Amino acid sequence: MPDVTSKKDVQNLPAVEGDVWADFRQVERLTLALTQSYTHTLGKYSRFFIELENRRFMATHCGGCGKVCAPPRPLCPECLKATNWIELPGTGTLETFSVLHFSPGSNADVAALPTPYIFAYVLLDGASTLFPHLLRAPLEQISLGMRVRVAFSDHPVEHPIHLMYFVPLE
Amino acid sequence: MMRVPVIAGVGMTRFASERLDCNARDLLAEAVLALLADTGMSDLKAVQHGLCSYESDHFNRQMTLAAILHDQIGLLPTPTVRVEGGGATGALALRTAWAYVQSGLCDSILVYGVETNGRGVSSQTANQLFALSADFDWEMMIGGTYTGFYAAMMRAHMQQFGTTPEQFAHVAVRNRRNAGFNPLAQKPMDITTADVLASRPVAEPYRLLDCSLLSDGAAVILLATEDWARANTPRFAQRPVVCFTATGCGTDTMRLGDRYPHITNFRAKRAAAQQAYQMAGITNPLDQIDVAELYDSYSGVEIQAVEDLGFVAEGTGGASIASGMFDLGGVLPVNTSGGLLGRGAPVGATGIAQAIEIALQLWGEADPRRQVAGARRGLTDTHAGIATISVVNIFERRD
Ligand SMILES: [Zn+2]
Repeated sequence: MPDVTSKKDVQNLPAVEGDVWADFRQVERLTLALTQSYTHTLGKYSRFFIELENRRFMATHCGGCGKVCAPPRPLCPECLKATNWIELPGTGTLETFSVLHFSPGSNADVAALPTPYIFAYVLLDGASTLFPHLLRAPLEQISLGMRVRVAFSDHPVEHPIHLMYFVPLE
Repeated sequence: MMRVPVIAGVGMTRFASERLDCNARDLLAEAVLALLADTGMSDLKAVQHGLCSYESDHFNRQMTLAAILHDQIGLLPTPTVRVEGGGATGALALRTAWAYVQSGLCDSILVYGVETNGRGVSSQTANQLFALSADFDWEMMIGGTYTGFYAAMMRAHMQQFGTTPEQFAHVAVRNRRNAGFNPLAQKPMDITTADVLASRPVAEPYRLLDCSLLSDGAAVILLATEDWARANTPRFAQRPVVCFTATGCGTDTMRLGDRYPHITNFRAKRAAAQQAYQMAGITNPLDQIDVAELYDSYSGVEIQAVEDLGFVAEGTGGASIASGMFDLGGVLPVNTSGGLLGRGAPVGATGIAQAIEIALQLWGEADPRRQVAGARRGLTDTHAGIATISVVNIFERRD
């Protein structure tokens, strides 16, 4: 007899009084896979990630309005002018955060995170926007307004954003 | 003026975490059969335009759904178009349909929304797929999730205004209770604030029972000029006329951090509400709106919404909600359908289902246990991302 090789599940749903779909109560579901790998272009944001390998934290500066963006913005949304790269000292202040009790496993780096982890928004000294990243510190040491700094990873990572994270500023 | 669209009819499926017997096409068929029963029409041949509302090619695992669905419900060869705006998709679809009718491009348009967000993929995959609508390199790759972004906003709201988990738990309890009065709701629950506070933390300060549902479902609304509705939908004359009078839309940065220092509330929602209120001539929304469906993707988001929609002052949403003023029988009942927390949220159908609840309320046809007596004007609040796109639509009974 021919058969289906994928995992399948066939059920006969109970009849419902007056159901217009009475002839359609036998249902089948299959488990199929969809996998893909692809080239992901970092574009004009690339230098931020390349400089992380050199343990430098970069932001963009707009010559028109003076705004410093971290994460960077190659095009200033206020002036619609091309910005330029500047280096920031990497110290800042914790403005808000969430404690995540599950990992979405978005990539190998995230899948490896021990839970719970702290998803933090930091106002870097010299910047005018908040930078989101992991804050690695015991929960009981975390408080809004605390001073933090960028730390650089010593381990190989899948996505270069994991070449950095935040730690409390001692 | 005579082209202000009226609601000529509505239909929706029960929302469910999983419909074993339905793919997206089947769900839509079910909603369309409900529409036929609602309008007294026997087919859709007279309808002049379609408008397809779904968010995710990933979740539905089907592209060009507008063409495929259009075929399934007997609308060929009339024109169609797809509208997509993340979580706001259904409301943005209605807003677009409003303009299609107002412009004279068509006299009738079927807005059909469907999504299969339920159990087609694991919740971890669902989170990854939803995170693709965040900023890939700067949020998603770090391990950010929407629950986390919303939670960080709520922590800032708590810090600045003293909002408490007990206050947002009130929303989680009330909306699930309201869902019990809605036979099409996905997950009615009879729970207490203590149950919410005792549920497991997901992304603190949010806990499991603060989070809305993943759903399978479909919802359709037939919008038309009043003349078309009178001529083509037999049941139209038996009901009060409900008009889609006003619509507003606002936008904000995709990353929360780029909104600094304004990270407690939704700028896009304020902009959307302002436009809609101006169009509807509303100057005091708390007094002039009788019923509202708010986008409670997380319990605390409703607190932010009542502030940003101008129902109460910024920072007072928590205390206002805990007072019961937005419960059934209160000053302005919200999420009488059960909201995203209790009724469910198949994304492309969500904004349409919200508008259906308002239509039922204004027609006086909601279940008596959730009917707001004498409701004449209703509002829907729907957004994408962390209110990255926000849509406010206003409906009024005219008689
Ligand atoms: Zn600038």
